[in-house]
Amino acid sequence: MRRWARREDERLLTGRGRYVADIRVPGCLDAVFVRSGVAHGVLREVDCTAAREVPGVAGAWSAADLMDLPACPHAAGDLQDLPPVPRTVAVGLSPEEAVAGREWPVLVKDRVRYPGEAVAVVLGEDRYRAEDGAAEVTFRIDPLPAVVTPSAAAEDSVRLFDGLSNIAFEGSAGRPIDEAVLQGAAVVVEARYRQQLLMPTPMECRTFLAVPEADRLTVWAGHQMPHRLRRELAALLEWPPDRVRVVVPDTGGAFGSKSALFPEYVAVAFLAVRLGRPVRWIEDRLESMLVATRGRGQDQRVRLAADAEGRLLAYELTIDADVGAYPHLAVGLPMQTAWMATGPYTTPQVRATLRSVLTNTMVTYPYRGAGRPEATVALERSMDALAHRLGLDPAELRRRNLIPPASFPYRTPTGRCYDSGNYAAALDLALTTLDYDGWRAERARRRADPAALPLGIGLACYVERSGGEPGGLHEFGGVEAREDGTVVARSGTSSSGQSHETVFPALVARTLGVDEARVRLAEGDTGEQPQGVGSFASRSAQVAGAMLVHACALLVGRARERAAGLWEVPVGEVAWCDGAVHAGPAVMDLAELVKLTGPLRVDDRFAAGMAFPFGAHAAVAEVDPELGTVRVLRLVAVDDCGTVLDPVVVRGQAFGSAVQGIGQALYEGFAFGEDGVPLLAGALLDYLLPTDAEVPPIEIRDTRTPSPGTPLGAKGAGESGCIGTPAAIVNAVADALRIADPGLLGTPLTPETVWRAARAPKLPERPV
Amino acid sequence: MKPAAFDYVAPRTVREAVEALGAGRDAHVLAGGQSLILEMRLRRARPEVVVDINRVPGLGRLSVDGGTLRVGALVRHDAFEAAGAVPGPLGTLFSLAVVTIAHPPIRSRGTMVGSLAWGHPASEWCAVAVAMDAVLELRGSGGAREVAAGGFFHGPFQTARRPDELVTAVRFPLPGADTGAGFAEHRRTHFCFAQVAVAATLTVRGGLVAEARIGLVNAADRPVRARAAERALLGAEVVLPPAGHRLPGGHPFARAGEIAATADAAPVAEPYAGVDYKRHAVAVLVGRALRQAAEDQRSRAAVHRGGHR
Ligand SMILES: Cc1cc2nc3c(=O)[nH]c(=O)nc-3n(C[C@H](O)[C@H](O)[C@H](O)COP(=O)(O)OP(=O)(O)OC[C@H]3O[C@@H](n4cnc5c(N)ncnc54)[C@H](O)[C@@H]3O)c2cc1C
Repeated sequence: MRRWARREDERLLTGRGRYVADIRVPGCLDAVFVRSGVAHGVLREVDCTAAREVPGVAGAWSAADLMDLPACPHAAGDLQDLPPVPRTVAVGLSPEEAVAGREWPVLVKDRVRYPGEAVAVVLGEDRYRAEDGAAEVTFRIDPLPAVVTPSAAAEDSVRLFDGLSNIAFEGSAGRPIDEAVLQGAAVVVEARYRQQLLMPTPMECRTFLAVPEADRLTVWAGHQMPHRLRRELAALLEWPPDRVRVVVPDTGGAFGSKSALFPEYVAVAFLAVRLGRPVRWIEDRLESMLVATRGRGQDQRVRLAADAEGRLLAYELTIDADVGAYPHLAVGLPMQTAWMATGPYTTPQVRATLRSVLTNTMVTYPYRGAGRPEATVALERSMDALAHRLGLDPAELRRRNLIPPASFPYRTPTGRCYDSGNYAAALDLALTTLDYDGWRAERARRRADPAALPLGIGLACYVERSGGEPGGLHEFGGVEAREDGTVVARSGTSSSGQSHETVFPALVARTLGVDEARVRLAEGDTGEQPQGVGSFASRSAQVAGAMLVHACALLVGRARERAAGLWEVPVGEVAWCDGAVHAGPAVMDLAELVKLTGPLRVDDRFAAGMAFPFGAHAAVAEVDPELGTVRVLRLVAVDDCGTVLDPVVVRGQAFGSAVQGIGQALYEGFAFGEDGVPLLAGALLDYLLPTDAEVPPIEIRDTRTPSPGTPLGAKGAGESGCIGTPAAIVNAVADALRIADPGLLGTPLTPETVWRAARAPKLPERPV
Repeated sequence: MKPAAFDYVAPRTVREAVEALGAGRDAHVLAGGQSLILEMRLRRARPEVVVDINRVPGLGRLSVDGGTLRVGALVRHDAFEAAGAVPGPLGTLFSLAVVTIAHPPIRSRGTMVGSLAWGHPASEWCAVAVAMDAVLELRGSGGAREVAAGGFFHGPFQTARRPDELVTAVRFPLPGADTGAGFAEHRRTHFCFAQVAVAATLTVRGGLVAEARIGLVNAADRPVRARAAERALLGAEVVLPPAGHRLPGGHPFARAGEIAATADAAPVAEPYAGVDYKRHAVAVLVGRALRQAAEDQRSRAAVHRGGHR
């Protein structure tokens, strides 16, 4: 019956999607930012005079020019000077003291702190003319030494903010490890890992269109949190929030990179209001590669101790995390790694400490996985090293330590309370799906044949967190029954490609027992749904899905009350079935009821519990040790996201995130020049993404352990592959090469890295 | 990423094209546009006038005349994907090399001659042209001239072409049936340029190497002909190495690889490939390309013998 797998596909796959850049507003100006080519330096002068003379240029401003700009006579006038980018002190993740004194200016005032930081903005009649203008802006920056890794920056020999340390925050989770335990352990694995900086790389880069009208501003943006964007914009403009409306049209991916208010957005909104003209900023790929938020970026040290039987005794994780040039959400983000450091094991002692360090790179921010891949990679790579040291099968080592199903809810030494799980079942399913024994035999065969390419098997068990942190585990929305028989579902979430239009109406239709085709989703428009939290942390199905189920229950209650009134029977005698109220022989569907009794709409706020999805990934990789190339022959992803609302959509999430996990393991990463500027002359030819040709056969399976945190039982499904896949692949390569030091395999596993590792000392041969 | 303003002309003849190039303005030829458009969008190239040759008839011709192949300036990469598009071992070499150039949409627009004119150090065609003694045909305001590929490349994106010259075609001598071809490329994903690649042919007579040709891709600031390695192979007995990814240490192909890496290559470090690694990759890939060339020669000879039986 359905021609399309998803409701949005008819539009998106026939070229009728409507993204911000497709929206035509007469008289709209295009903004182009003039960017620093230096990572760190003192800005001496900016001159926009020549740019203003370029035909088609409407204006050009440096920070100083904007401060001098006379108040605009427009109705929306009386603006303050360009304010700094609002810091995000979200739910305790970024403490005040970390951000104090370290303001992020919209345009550089005196000091450039990351490459690509904007020193001027040019508005033109179109992007071509604006770029012509930008090419005429002259400026001078006296370079300073740059620091691009947190370990280097933590030394404070180069400071980003005079008089302040680069270390913006120090934190920990778990109690200090008892040294006696480490001394008494049969084996202690010690290793260092670097989690490279990654780009979220949505197909559509950032977009922001600001249209002022009378005393109001409408903003169109690809955004994960339109309500927060509205609040922040209103606060910056010193307006009441109801004068700002944010609309999120079709959005081509976000992966965490579209949930904040960025300098470019502030500049565009301000200029639009000041000039009383529509202005847009459509970020292009090169810009995005330079100044879109980065994910990951941790230097880690681990110590993992076990007894002779492979029972884990203690685990210690020490993190230097890259915050980027200005303290933002990433200051507290590594706490996520610390809280999740325990992983899926019963390790009695776990301790994670961290320093969040400013560096001369663009701001770090959550990227699909956000803190959990870092935790999983560190632990799972150490687990494989431990298995090799003990001469134990890595699967068996894990089985001996996985938290058993009867132990939930499980309190971890690092402060989490895992809701539900059957971790061993996921591992077993991964092993049988892979044909673990068959590949072990093949590995043995190849080890005996000098002509064969070495092959390795890698495992990774993970547990992650979805929904958000306390204080952000709720969502707003509701359902409305209309006279014409349609139902509108409203939600404060915002899709950037996650199929909400398909999944939520189907869920509401199922819950109410009405025809799916009659349910429509209203989302991503602060004009339609006044309050909302948004879509991040794999929370939409888990939290907003549960909210909609809850709203349906409220609606049914109201409908039964109304029917009871109409029919003059006790509410207890009115039943709800198949989208209609029933009492004895009397039946009335929602449309009729609304016609007779008036509009029926419920709106509410619903809070879920934190959920802990989990899974097991397994990879088989073949290595050409002469060139260092890695070929992934097989990848199995078993993920458990509790109750599955739509198997096709969940599968898509698992697949896409696994491919991004492959990217992290094998391809993605920045190389930096001596001056701290990333080498990106070839854009996506330098920062490599896996393409379809690189994707190995991926087999996706699930187990389903509902979350007790909501009646719906769904957990987040969006980030599994980014969390489970990287460690499985790196472990497979380490297994193929049998290298003794797991830290040698720094990601991305470029051919040169693998080639060097292949020549390093090997583990002793063991009859595993 | 928008180009600076430029003028555009679409000549209908080679003569008009050459006139447009020689009119005293900074003019760039537009062939497949797969490099030029990118450079213009990055504003690294800012031509005053773009001379689009796509409407000039005849430039798309691919022809064989006696023992010579002639490739016109508008023959697209993908014309060489079928081994039979060009006769004999050269067709095999082209078909092996071409599929390593970017991906199908780019190969359907980009041209072999455009690659030569552009002179990217990682261009497969440039190294193939150098190895196979190709000759470029150029036409400028001063008339026509020919330049051997061996003397055409002067550095990254630098060639012997004068600004007013159009490269109208490139010619390759066709090797005979006693020659086998091999091509080995190493790159990080299917989408990107080679970290290193090697084109090789072996001409075998009486079981001995009568001629070896080796071209190195991205092993220096320009395409390299590995002359020292070629010399070392002359007269060597062609013994196919045993199966497996590694050549036995003393094998002539392995030795040729070592010589190419140390005596012929002059690698330039790149973000994810240092000089030592690139040298090592040259050695490995020369060995692999030679093995493939020897196998190709052997099966060609077998077919040849079979045909006469
Ligand atoms: C993503 C991507 C990956 C790629 N990967 C590879 C790869 O792996 N290997 C590879 O070799 N190439 C690769 N390329 C480049 C591609 O092969 C180009 O097609 C080729 O370099 C140029 O050919 P063209 O016909 O497109 O030339 P154009 O882009 O039209 O021109 C390139 C330059 O040559 C000049 N020029 C072109 N034709 C003539 C002529 N007849 N006379 C005088 N001057 C001329 C132009 O003025 C310009 O300066 C890649 C390109 C992209 C975008």
